[in-house]
This record gives sequence, C-alpha cells and structure tokens, in this order.
Amino acid sequence: MSGFTQALTRGMWREIPPFRLVLGLCPTLAVTKSADNGLGMGAAVIFVLVLSNFFISLLRKLIPAKVRIACFIVVAATLVVAVELLMQAFAYPLYQTLGIFVPLIVVNCIILGRAEAFAAKNGPLLSIADGLGMGVGFTCSLTVLGALREAFGAGTVFGARVMPEAYQPVAFMVEAPGAFVCLGLLLAAMNALGRDAGQPPAGCRACGACYEAAARREGGA
Amino acid sequence: MREIAAMLVVLSAICGASGWILASLREYAAPLIEEQELVHVKGPALRHAFGAFDNDPVRERRRVALPDGGTLLVFPARKGGRLSAVAFERFGEGYGGPLGVMVGFDLSRDALSGIGITTHRETPGVGSRVTSEGFLVQFQGHPFAKLGLKAAGGDIDAVSGATTSSTAASRAVAEALRLWGGIRPEIEKAFAGEGP
Repeated sequence: MSGFTQALTRGMWREIPPFRLVLGLCPTLAVTKSADNGLGMGAAVIFVLVLSNFFISLLRKLIPAKVRIACFIVVAATLVVAVELLMQAFAYPLYQTLGIFVPLIVVNCIILGRAEAFAAKNGPLLSIADGLGMGVGFTCSLTVLGALREAFGAGTVFGARVMPEAYQPVAFMVEAPGAFVCLGLLLAAMNALGRDAGQPPAGCRACGACYEAAARREGGA
Repeated sequence: MREIAAMLVVLSAICGASGWILASLREYAAPLIEEQELVHVKGPALRHAFGAFDNDPVRERRRVALPDGGTLLVFPARKGGRLSAVAFERFGEGYGGPLGVMVGFDLSRDALSGIGITTHRETPGVGSRVTSEGFLVQFQGHPFAKLGLKAAGGDIDAVSGATTSSTAASRAVAEALRLWGGIRPEIEKAFAGEGP
C-alpha cells in the first residue's frame, strides 16, 4: 500500500504542480484573482485529472504507442467539455468568471503530463491516487495564490474582509503583473524551503517527461 | 498494415465513445443550462430593461406566437400586481458576433422602459462599453420617435470608438420596435389579469 500513499502524496508537496514541476502556469496566473476562482478552477482540474488518469490507465494496453497522444487528448477533451456542461448547469456564476479558461484545461500540461508520465504506465488505482494528489496540490496552490492576491489586491479572502478598513487595496495585485510577482515570490519561498531539505530548485526538469522522451528517441534510433 | 488498422480502430472507437457520451450529457444538461442562463444572464439584463418592478419576470415568462409562425419569449414586469412593462430579446450583428439586447416597453405610454445587454462577444474595453450605464441609460423612458444613433438621424450618442457595437445595439432595438407594433395586442392578452 506504500506505493498508493506515495502516488497520492507526491503531488501534494514534493512534486506540487505549479511550484515544483512548474506545470500548468496558464490557469495558475490567469484565474487566481480571488481565492474563490482558484478553488473553482482547481476543482475542475481535479475532476478532469482523476478521470483522465483513470480512463487512460484502463486503456493503456489498448492504445497503440504511435497514436497515444491523440488518444490522451481525446479523453481529456471529452472530460473538459463534460465539466463545462456541468458547470453551466449547476454553477453558472463560476462558469461566467472562469470563462475561456475552462476549455483551456484541455491543454493544461498537467493533464497530458500525468497521462504520459504516470497513467500510461500504472494501474487504475494508482493512477487515480496520482491524479487526486496532483489535483489537490494544484488546487491548494491556486487557492493560496488567489487568497494572497485577493488579500493584498482587494483586502478580502473568499469575500470576507481580512485587512483593516483603512487598508488601501493594491489594484496591481489583482491584475496580470501581480500574478507574475506573486508566483515568483512563492516559487522563491518554495525553493528556499526545498534547499533546506536538500532538493534541487524547481524547474522544468522536475517532471522528467522530456528527458524520458529524449532517451526513448535515442534508444530507438 | 496490422498496426495501422489497430491505430485507426482504437482512435475511432475512443472518439466515437466520446461523441456519444457528450451528446447524451448535452441532452441531459440543456434544460438545466437554459434555466441558469435565464437567471444569471437574462435576469440582470431585465433589471436594466425595466424601471421599478416587484414580481419575478423570469418565472412569469411566456411564449407568444409571432405573425410569421415563430414564437417569442416575453418577460413581464408588474407593479403592485398590475402589468407595467414587458421585455423581449432581439439581436444585432456586433463586432465579434451577435449582440443580444433585452428591450423593455413601457405599457403606459409609447416609450421604451429601458434596455439591457444579455450576451455579447465585443472587444473587452472597447465594444464591450455598450454594456456601460452611460450608453444604456439613454434608452430609459425614450419615446419611439428619434430612437436611433445620431449618425442615423436619431438622438442616441454612440459609444465613441465602438460604432459597430453601438449600431448593433441600436439595430436590435429597431428590430424589437418593428415587432412590437404587430404583437402588442397579442402580448397584452397573454399577460392579462392579475399576476400569479
């Protein structure tokens, strides 16, 4: 069972997607104007990621290697359209604020990255655990980033006032540049924490998918 | 050859299954989505299109038959149980696609009660300013005469830099006005009597 726990907790801290793998930055930067939006986006990603990992893991022996990316994308796209429909049917205000970023979950690197790096090689149960862990890690990151920006940019968190009445909101924080600044500060903090624990700094190599692909190409040639 | 066949079969099967799932889900969700749109899109536009009212126009909406055989979704506004205004939606061709305008008609005189924008895909910050209070307020209580942009001989100021979007809104209003003459008796009959 340790493999299961490991798959579940990996995405929550050691490989937390936006801060350690530096994956899925588009939604991370774009929708975190408030803690609410971050949480909503995260919930949508958890749904898609868990189910896409599950289905891809079930189909992994059937899918021919040469069309695997196309198959992964079809599965992810189906789930995203399903999320979009369900969100319109049950949480319309959330759909209005997330808008274009819901369909864009299809091209969120986390979905394809986990399909390729994990679900295509592991059983359904482990894949669900991996999707859930990564999704929860992603959601927490977005919520924290959203809460931070909302607190400084509007003086509230989840709509509840946290700053004293006299606080002048820094509108910069809820605009696009504020997202980059906040993300940078959080990445720096995560790297500092990681350095104390002896981990390498966050970066693209953390996911390893490109290295594996390169190795496979060299091996095949 | 076998490999290509396997690729074709698997990918087609996955795509087919996905299409079937989404089609059934869409069928299931369509009425729910329509309901949500009425509350979250038409509702706010109706508040703009009517002045004061104390009923629930979304819940009391009715379909009214048009002379050309189609139907029109009409929303009533009541004050103290008496029908004071009605509104329905028309579209004008905007810069990024159809621009939906909820046009309210004041029943006590030949004038609009106001208009509200429902759906649009105008450029944010430019064309989208037709949804601003400053533009919409010009239509509040406006008589039917001279109801058009200044460029077309009316007395409505277009949003500067957003002529296409303003024209779209004004066309939608003109289209609603054209319809109104023919169906007013029909609508009044449909909502006759006290509110529910």
